[in-house]
Amino acid sequence: MNLNEDTILWLYEITDVIIAGLSTGSVYALMAVGMTLVYGVTKAFNFAYGDFFNMGGYFAWILIFGLGFQFGGYLGVLVIVMPLMFAVGYGLEKLLIAPLRKRADWENKVMMLTLGLALFLTSLYTVVFGARMKSLPPILDGILEVGQLVFSYQDIMIFVMSLGGIMLFGWLLNTTRLGMAVRAVAQNPIGAKIVGIPRERIFAATFAISTVMVGFGGILLSQKWFINPNSGGTIMVKAWVVTAFGGMGSIRGGLYAAFIIGMLEAFVGWMFGMSYGIIALFVLLLATLAFRPQGLMGKGE
Amino acid sequence: MLQVSNLNAYYGESHVLRDVSVAVNQGEVVVMLGPNGHGKSTLLKSICGLVDRTEGNITYNDRDINGLATEKIVNLGLIYIAENRELFPYMTVLENLKLGAYSKNARAHEKENLERVFKLFPRLVDRKKQFASTMSGGEARMLAVARGLMSNADFLCIDEPSLGLQPSLRLEIFSTIKRINAQGKTVLLVEQNIPQIAEMADRIYVMEEGRISFEGNPDEALNNEHLKEVFLGM
Repeated sequence: MNLNEDTILWLYEITDVIIAGLSTGSVYALMAVGMTLVYGVTKAFNFAYGDFFNMGGYFAWILIFGLGFQFGGYLGVLVIVMPLMFAVGYGLEKLLIAPLRKRADWENKVMMLTLGLALFLTSLYTVVFGARMKSLPPILDGILEVGQLVFSYQDIMIFVMSLGGIMLFGWLLNTTRLGMAVRAVAQNPIGAKIVGIPRERIFAATFAISTVMVGFGGILLSQKWFINPNSGGTIMVKAWVVTAFGGMGSIRGGLYAAFIIGMLEAFVGWMFGMSYGIIALFVLLLATLAFRPQGLMGKGE
Repeated sequence: MLQVSNLNAYYGESHVLRDVSVAVNQGEVVVMLGPNGHGKSTLLKSICGLVDRTEGNITYNDRDINGLATEKIVNLGLIYIAENRELFPYMTVLENLKLGAYSKNARAHEKENLERVFKLFPRLVDRKKQFASTMSGGEARMLAVARGLMSNADFLCIDEPSLGLQPSLRLEIFSTIKRINAQGKTVLLVEQNIPQIAEMADRIYVMEEGRISFEGNPDEALNNEHLKEVFLGM
């Protein structure tokens, strides 16, 4: 087969775009699953989700650049930051959200509270880190050459690690006692109460797990993009679009949606420029809401 | 074993139980009868910590349990088995049973209880890997009772186990409850109908409009003129 040079160039570019779509898509998947989990279990929406993404990135940044932490590379960073994210999530849930649940109409109050928390965290980041963008070093530098195709290790590692994170989450949810209790509360809160599952503790643990997942996503994507105090809003919007497109409360839907949206963003960015990516997301969201409001795999009303 | 005295229970503004006093001794099957919506279920739920506002005394093995969180009550050995079953629909039968053994007290006995439950309900063995949502009404009812037994409870609060079942399945579930009782479990059971249930009861209470209107043994209940009127319309 004889290919002219233009075609070959085009093929390279397409491959690049697909790899980029897969790697961001996998991180979106991680975030969407975390968001769906909280919504599925507590039926409340966490508007500070995007700022926990930044929190993960900032924690890693503090370790690497602020404290000069070098032990064990990124694995060492994760070993420290992930439990920290869990503790932050658990603590915030117990401290701020749990007291609200005793009141009527608490789902809406939680939304207002997390919205306030998002504003607070954004300001806090600005004060502590300044408005300048920060970036994390890549997990692995360099490129992988397969024949004439070139892949960056960074993209591959992001993809592999977020997939690993999702699988770990799947294992946690499907086989551990905590995971079973979480699913039980999501499927039938009364049934869960009857068998003696402490709902409050499960809510806090769920919130904490989702905080870990989005914080992990933050560490992964901050190598590719930049973190700044305001980027939480964009992330929040993306996670929300993925979750709504996949179907609120459907974990599998969220996974599919994440990869579709990651690809969409990569292709639109390649064809029209990066800033069109987010427009494409909103067009997709509008189309979803107009034609299939329950999302890809949502159960509908 | 269980002593309820002067219990009042409320759902929001409505006052459901009015000065209810009930006692259940170890090893008994006590049946609570009464028309629908007169507070029978509320009594069971109050005992198991599932009603927000209850006033009065509930003691279990001389310990005050009124106001305790449900998970603590389950851990003490009481379990509520719901009339509408409250299973986990998208989990397998086995997972539902394992969640029944969630409480601390139950975990250590999970294996032996699973064996015992499968012996009592052999049909659940074949359905082990099936989602709870795919089961028939009778099987789901068995699963609800089985899940309750997994909690290792000594005291079972069973809410209308015959609801929505055909007569042959009703008899089956009643005889299973009798067997469970023979294995040493104490049972407080809520039902609507007298004749079928009377023979398995050690004692019978009747609840009307949130109050206990009758207390006695099955013979007395069957011959009571007022109860005949209430239940049989005679």
